[in-house]
Amino acid sequence: MITGSDAMWLGFVALWGALTVALIALAVMLLRLREAEQRLRDKEAEQQGVLDRLQENEYRLRTIIESEPECVKLQAADGTVLEINPAGLRLVDAGRPEDIIGKKIYDVVAQEYKDIYRENMRRVFEGEAVVYEFKSITLKGRTCWMETHAVPLRDARGAVYALLGITRDITEHKWAEEQGRRHQTELARVARLSTMGEMATGLAHELNQPLSAIANFARGCIRRLRSGDVAPADLIEPLEEVCEQAERAGEIMRHVRDFVRKSEPRMTAVDINQVVRSVVKFTELEARQHETVVTLHLAPQQPRVWADSIMVEQVICNLVRNAMEAMAETRSLRREIMIRTVPQGEDAIEIEVIDTGPGIDGAVIDQVFDQFFTTKPEGVGMGLSISRSIVESHGGSIRAESRAGGATFRFTLQAIPLRLSSDERRYSLHS
Amino acid sequence: MSDATVFIVDDDQAVARSLRWLIETVRLKVETFASAQAFLDGYDASKPGCLVLDVRMPGMSGLELQERLAARRTHHVPIIFITGHGDVQMAVRAVQAGAFDFVEKPFNDQDLLDRIQRAIAFEGEQRGREAHRAQLRALFASLTPREREVLDLVVEGLSNKAIANALGLSAKTVEVHRAKVMEKLHARSLSDLVKLAMQHQAA
Ligand SMILES: Nc1ncnc2c1ncn2[C@@H]1O[C@H](COP(=O)(O)OP(=O)(O)OP(=O)(O)O)[C@@H](O)[C@H]1O
Ligand SMILES: [Mg+2]
Repeated sequence: MITGSDAMWLGFVALWGALTVALIALAVMLLRLREAEQRLRDKEAEQQGVLDRLQENEYRLRTIIESEPECVKLQAADGTVLEINPAGLRLVDAGRPEDIIGKKIYDVVAQEYKDIYRENMRRVFEGEAVVYEFKSITLKGRTCWMETHAVPLRDARGAVYALLGITRDITEHKWAEEQGRRHQTELARVARLSTMGEMATGLAHELNQPLSAIANFARGCIRRLRSGDVAPADLIEPLEEVCEQAERAGEIMRHVRDFVRKSEPRMTAVDINQVVRSVVKFTELEARQHETVVTLHLAPQQPRVWADSIMVEQVICNLVRNAMEAMAETRSLRREIMIRTVPQGEDAIEIEVIDTGPGIDGAVIDQVFDQFFTTKPEGVGMGLSISRSIVESHGGSIRAESRAGGATFRFTLQAIPLRLSSDERRYSLHS
Repeated sequence: MSDATVFIVDDDQAVARSLRWLIETVRLKVETFASAQAFLDGYDASKPGCLVLDVRMPGMSGLELQERLAARRTHHVPIIFITGHGDVQMAVRAVQAGAFDFVEKPFNDQDLLDRIQRAIAFEGEQRGREAHRAQLRALFASLTPREREVLDLVVEGLSNKAIANALGLSAKTVEVHRAKVMEKLHARSLSDLVKLAMQHQAA
């Protein structure tokens, strides 16, 4: 039986039970909340730590880059300078960062190197690491030589978004190189002077020919006039010969003058393909007269050489003229000249002049470069000898070959490397 | 004057033509050749004359041509070398090897013509002597062995009698042989006969 006090007791127990349950639930909830709060706090702390570390890292990198003695810069694909360190500012003579940042890097690249620079940038944005040299004109107009090691920077998806370049001033090094080259040129000049000594001997012989012919013709005329048994008209032919021989002597002297005048080569960076094209242009008329077809096979990368362009022009011109003359002489059916520029590795280029003429007799092939060696009635025999001394004064070499179907003359010149080395060193931000 | 020919070998056609023009003023015949080889191929050794040769030529040089000619067993044409400035050494070598003369460029025209005339005269004499020797050889070849024996002893100065004794012949027979020898050799006297015999021996 249930009494009133029982009922109260029961009610109390029920209430207490409910309260306890509620309390426990509350406690659990509280605990959960605490936990969550703690976790939240932990996460925040953690995030803060990451941020701090990132900031620290960036700061450290900046310090390194800012204090880096060499120029470090970021460039966009179009050449816009995105960032550059103080050393870089100094290198290009920029007073404030905004003098160069946001501007095109080409503003400080010398005119003749813009193409080379552009080509190298293209390669970096295609993912290559490259090293290249170029001449720079700084914002203050100073000329200097630079060497850049450039690598692509990629975003999270792997696309190249910038070029990271480290650039060094190599002017002094270049200058030393240039001095070396000058010295070489000087040596070549001295060598040429002694060649000229040899030439003087050859020249004496060579000039003696027309001079003694002139004397003989003239004496023959005088003798006939003295003896009185000559018709004036009979003297015309020998006197014409006298004039011709005088011209021949003059021609010999002209060759010598050319040779001496051009003894100081003026070296510049020369696009060899351009030189070939200009020779073809000014021998066009002769080629047409000789019914000769000239074809070109030029190296696609437009190799540059250190050379006196006029002199190199003269060499190619001599070879082309000889080829035309050789083919005209034998009335070759096919009269073709092919001129090729063929890179020989990175630092040399070969220029070939190939004809479809009679070729060169094996007995004289070693003599064709000798002064005054000629097989032509009107020839002087100076063309190849001058060509050889020009090529050698450029530090190159020239040779003649005879095939079944014609002759080939080739000479080499030192090329300016487009890319100094294919060094694959990578520059990483995370050292 | 003579029917001598001046042969000119010079690779330089203008020089060759000018030499012809000059040499023809003294009424000599001129033949020009553009190379040493062309001369070797085309030269007729029976023609009297002399050779004017440039020392320096491409291909076979003047000195080489001289050697090649010397090696031939035919008559030797006298050579006048024309040398350029500084080629004197070559000229000396040429003369040592038997060249007749040399002139140095630039030369005096009269000087060259005089030397050419001298060379031609020399060659004429040489040809004359050669002809004479050839004639002697022919005459002596016409003698019989017996006549040769008689002649040899006559030249030694033996009398007919002594010769007859030495050869076991009669003096009369020796007399007949001796007359025959005189006739064959066209000798008019004993001294003629001795001279001819000595010339033949020398030849
Ligand atoms: N392409 C060729 N094919 C055949 N022979 C050649 C060729 N080029 C040169 N030679 C030979 O080499 C010789 C020398 O050539 P070089 O150019 O020195 O003198 P040249 O042409 O005779 O006279 P010039 O002084 O007027 O040029 C020529 O006479 C010819 O015999
Ligand atoms: Mg030529």
